[in-house]
Amino acid sequence: MSSVAPEPDVSVVVIVYNDEDRLATAVGSVLEQSLRNVEVIIADDCSTDGSYEVAQALAAAHPGKVRAIRLPENSGGCGEPRNQGVKVARGRYVMFLDSDDTLEPNACRNMVEAGDRTGADLVSGLCVRVHTDSRHGKRVLWYPWLYRSTRTLESVAELPDLFVFDTLSTNKCYRRDFLLDNDLTFPRGIHYEDLLFSAQAYLAARRITLIPNTVYFWNVVQKSATKSISNRRGEIRNFADRVEIHRRIDALLQQRGEDELKLRKDIKFLKHDLVLYFRELPFLDDDYRHRFAELARPYVQTFSDAAYAELDRVHAICAQLLLREDWTDLMPAIDTLINRNKISAPLVERDGRIYWTDRYLDDPEMRSVLDVTTLGYHAKQLNQMFLRNRLTEYTVRGGDVVLAGEVVNPLHTIADDANLTAELEFRARRRSLQTFRFPVPAPRHQGDTIAWRAQVPLARKLRPLGIVDDVWDVRLHLTADGKRTTSRLTVGTVDLEDVEDVPVRPRLTRLMADRLEAQVSAKGHLAFRLTQHGQLARTGRAAVERNLHSRPARAAKGAYRTLRAVRRELNSGTRKLQVYERMLTRLPVRKGTVVFESHLGKQYSDSPRALYEELRRRGTPITAIWSYAGQRPEGFPKDVQLVRRWSWRYLRALAQAEFWIDNQGYPLRLAKRPETTYIQTWHGSALKRMGFDEPGLRMLSEPEQRAYQQALDRFDHFVVRSEHDVRTLARAYRIPEHKLLRTGYPRNDALVRATQGTPDPEAQRLAERLGLAPDRQVLLYAPTFRARPDGRVRDFEFPFDVEEFATRFGDRYTLLVRAHYLNRLTLPPSVAGRVIDVSAEPDITPLMLLADALITDYSSVMFDYALLHRPIVFFAHDWEEYAQDTRGTYFDLLAEAPGPVPRTAQEFFDALADLGTLRTTYEARLKEFVDKYGEYDRGNAAAQIVDRFFGTTGEAR
Amino acid sequence: MTQRDIFFVANEVNELGGVGRWQIQLATLLAGRGHRVTVVGIAPPHHPMDLGERPPFETVTLYARRPPSRPRPRRLVGRIDPAVRRHEAHMRQAAERLTALFRAARPGAVIVVPQVWAMEWVALADTAGHRVIGMTHESFDTCRKTSRFQRVKKYYQDVDRLLALTQEDADRWVGEGMNNVGFMPNPLPIPPGTPSPRSEKVVASIGRLSHEKGVDMLLDAWAEVAPQQPGWTLRIYGRGEAEAELRQRCAELGLEDSVDFAGQTDDVPGALRASSVFVQSSRGEGFPLVLLEAMACGVPCVAFDCAPGVREIVTHEEDGLLARPGNTSELARHLVRLMSDEQLRDAFGERALSNVRRFDPDAITRRWEELFDFLER
Repeated sequence: MSSVAPEPDVSVVVIVYNDEDRLATAVGSVLEQSLRNVEVIIADDCSTDGSYEVAQALAAAHPGKVRAIRLPENSGGCGEPRNQGVKVARGRYVMFLDSDDTLEPNACRNMVEAGDRTGADLVSGLCVRVHTDSRHGKRVLWYPWLYRSTRTLESVAELPDLFVFDTLSTNKCYRRDFLLDNDLTFPRGIHYEDLLFSAQAYLAARRITLIPNTVYFWNVVQKSATKSISNRRGEIRNFADRVEIHRRIDALLQQRGEDELKLRKDIKFLKHDLVLYFRELPFLDDDYRHRFAELARPYVQTFSDAAYAELDRVHAICAQLLLREDWTDLMPAIDTLINRNKISAPLVERDGRIYWTDRYLDDPEMRSVLDVTTLGYHAKQLNQMFLRNRLTEYTVRGGDVVLAGEVVNPLHTIADDANLTAELEFRARRRSLQTFRFPVPAPRHQGDTIAWRAQVPLARKLRPLGIVDDVWDVRLHLTADGKRTTSRLTVGTVDLEDVEDVPVRPRLTRLMADRLEAQVSAKGHLAFRLTQHGQLARTGRAAVERNLHSRPARAAKGAYRTLRAVRRELNSGTRKLQVYERMLTRLPVRKGTVVFESHLGKQYSDSPRALYEELRRRGTPITAIWSYAGQRPEGFPKDVQLVRRWSWRYLRALAQAEFWIDNQGYPLRLAKRPETTYIQTWHGSALKRMGFDEPGLRMLSEPEQRAYQQALDRFDHFVVRSEHDVRTLARAYRIPEHKLLRTGYPRNDALVRATQGTPDPEAQRLAERLGLAPDRQVLLYAPTFRARPDGRVRDFEFPFDVEEFATRFGDRYTLLVRAHYLNRLTLPPSVAGRVIDVSAEPDITPLMLLADALITDYSSVMFDYALLHRPIVFFAHDWEEYAQDTRGTYFDLLAEAPGPVPRTAQEFFDALADLGTLRTTYEARLKEFVDKYGEYDRGNAAAQIVDRFFGTTGEAR
Repeated sequence: MTQRDIFFVANEVNELGGVGRWQIQLATLLAGRGHRVTVVGIAPPHHPMDLGERPPFETVTLYARRPPSRPRPRRLVGRIDPAVRRHEAHMRQAAERLTALFRAARPGAVIVVPQVWAMEWVALADTAGHRVIGMTHESFDTCRKTSRFQRVKKYYQDVDRLLALTQEDADRWVGEGMNNVGFMPNPLPIPPGTPSPRSEKVVASIGRLSHEKGVDMLLDAWAEVAPQQPGWTLRIYGRGEAEAELRQRCAELGLEDSVDFAGQTDDVPGALRASSVFVQSSRGEGFPLVLLEAMACGVPCVAFDCAPGVREIVTHEEDGLLARPGNTSELARHLVRLMSDEQLRDAFGERALSNVRRFDPDAITRRWEELFDFLER
């Protein structure tokens, strides 16, 4: 070395083995760091190519900044070169870089800044995996949730996920003294050396700082070709090293008494490490599977019950079946593990619960592991099921391919006498211009499965384009009594490698490709890839590949993209708004058109529906247009015009309508022209703070509040059902007095009429459809949703044991459960007939009419149901939490509730014991409650509103 | 310690307001440490602040009148639009003067750009051999709602360091792909001194009477507080466009007896020492100086936790109380807790006085000097 520079801030150890082409780029990424006071140590693992010469040249070009060392013999891993590099490093900090990766330009500055500021022994930043072979420059962040914000840990035990997941040694910056004092080195001669080194470093560090900055680019090549069997076997052999490394880490953890970290790591091993190998098992024979089990079992058996308890259903099933070496049941379970929405096992029902298999049900522990009731498989229709379809035969005969398989038939969903038809569909993975379908003759029941077999004339009939459509996926459509289910073909042990390829004749000639090669997709399914076998195809294809990057090809691609962008832009929200404002609202108003919408188009329900029906009943000559959300409108009347929310037709309908009637709000940004009358029916009285009483809205800036106010000012009329509404909703939404319609809710007319003894035909029909037993009283359970602190909706959970409910009250009550539309629920089959999920019913009014009592917590349904003067039970198990969350409430429910307010499941069950007593006890309070919160609901709301606006002459506003 | 040439290139040299006060204070502090400081303003100030007899730094203003805003290029013509080109030529001319200043500086000079508008000129100037430090003097969330957001990302992309006000704000900028971000808190604007006796039954609020400061929400909260704590006064200092509306709201809520609109004050420490609790109900903040001032006067603070700068200054349950933004009931509960508990006020107030010393001007000046050295490495 020519000169001795002052102590560098960072020494970056760049390891290289036979990578002469990329080494200079890696080193360059260090030399171009914004922090200039860095040095590079290139540690060559005795390469056989020119790597060391490149390293020496770099050292000569940057004296004092770059040094090159060479190991006397190849070590075969990444650990030893790094160890040797650290030995000669002089910097205050040390980082590691592989010759095929690069550092982010500010990496050293950000790491050193953090280290100096916090005094951490170890600073870790975000690593980005760059897929170098991806067409779109795909980038995947490495465990980004660990790196959301800057964070300093006094011990890694504060953040077990860091220890468990981020096991890389390269995205980190170590204080050099820290490495030396703790004698931290990489192990030799074993795979997964990073895991052990990182574990040691994490445990030894007295302080760790995480920074959200990207520091390291890890260049990866996504293996596009399928793994061969020998690859898969190799992976299994590596498993021995992985277990060995984990055992060494366990020893460290035990020494230090880090039981929590050990538990977290065990859980991760079961959930992630094992799964990597599970993916290979379906393709290997029982001999290899057995070897794997022999390696895995002694290790995972030592894990505590607590680790297994943390697993979700499918992981737990896989782990237990592996311990038992039950390959027959494990393979389907692995299929579901890889394809989470797939139903892979025949399943059995016992005592009202659903189990994965019936094999181990005598063992109570296994019984609970195999219980998959909560996954809700049993509640699905055949056409909602994604079924396992195991390939059992794959042979090539000339240009034909013979395929056979078995589709699982869970819980005998497909009846024995069902009329079965099937066809195979071939479709290109990237945008497919063509689809090829082949009939499958006579699928039939065979044990727990539907067996099928087909000879497919692929060579003659499958005509790919030859470019763009390189990969073809295969699906089977099975139809049973008119219901269709689509499955993919799971390959498993069927041999695809030693079978000849199928000749193919692309539409762009055999210059593009000449063979179809069967392969396995990442999810384990059969697919075909176009390949070039003959000389002609190979040269032809190579020429095409070259030309794909030529100037004309680039121009063509550019033009195509522009075209697509223009089309997207034309249908974008901003463009639609512009056209709506500048053009559509200048078209003439169409007299007599009324646009209805309920709950943002989700349903045909509520007050807009009641008004619509009143208009129809009277035969008022209107053109009714209903808005719907989603792909397909469901439950809407036949004789109305339907427009999809935000579609061009929707905008045009709104622009030209004489009336808007809805219960929540048309898109806020759509201005209403003055000629249109907007009747806002609203959808419920308020317990929770709303509108400008809600903190979120109050915090908005002045322009934002003004914009919202403008949207509210579109309302010409606002329906209220009590002075409580006037004090709360009208004030919160700043609705002036003259816009209020004190008519009550049209949707509640039916409720009021029911108290006057008029039976509702729709409720009767619903009772029949639900199969309600006439000798049992009906309870309606309608809880509201709960938000999590981040504002997202929490998953629904019963606050009581629904099976216990069924056992205790099943002979007296039928419980109808209506989850909030933001929630979803699953009921066990054991409660069938006694507890019924009615969440999918579009309208709640008929349900209220059927119910002899209501159970709710804080849903606004309480205000409506009270009109029936029937008992209400307020199961307010989490009132404090609910009332004190960021929003707050308008009144104290506990004090005002006109019914019992049980706080625990036990109190809740007690409250249900006698409905008759409830009725008499709370009669007076219910009446008070109705007077206070529903004084204007008198059964003629729809009539009043229609009279006023659509009377013989109509109102001119 | 290396003595450097330091340039502040800001929108104005001495505009009345938070950034202006901060800039003059820091320039003075750095000059006091022997650095040669020049404060450059792009345009003359709207409301100038008095710089005193002989400020310890040079001042330069590039334009005699505020330059017109950048014309938006017409759609089809794009960047070759003559209006755009003329404007850019003008900017280049002004930037030439910056270049001349920078070239005359000793190597290793530092150019601090407190606002992104000024950065548009610095970006056109030749800064070779010097370090450029950009700053965003507001919270990330506040910035995101403005046109500055895109400009921060564009013009500060390649500066040597972009400084946010807090670590939390810096992290958010990192999330936007800025990888050169650090943070630097504001120094205490007044020296910590004699603490308030905290015996007057007064809750103070100080700030412009505008929507952003959220005094409307404070009145709502006070409507919950007043009946529970008779004898207490809410004294609202400041004036602004929302004053009439706020006075009317105050009357509607029937709070006239317990709310005192005291107008603008020149003696902030005096106002604080005459109160026992300080309250801030803003919709958005950066690194609120007035919270620092209140703490430096030993007055415990109650505030909406509306920005990282707020929680950086006030530690909840230790030297003050923070309420969820917009939750007026919670703000009211916190006020009542402090108003009804003299011991708690004293404990929080004393801790505030000692905790706020971490923003001591000397400590912050040293952090700046360390940063200058670090960027040279």
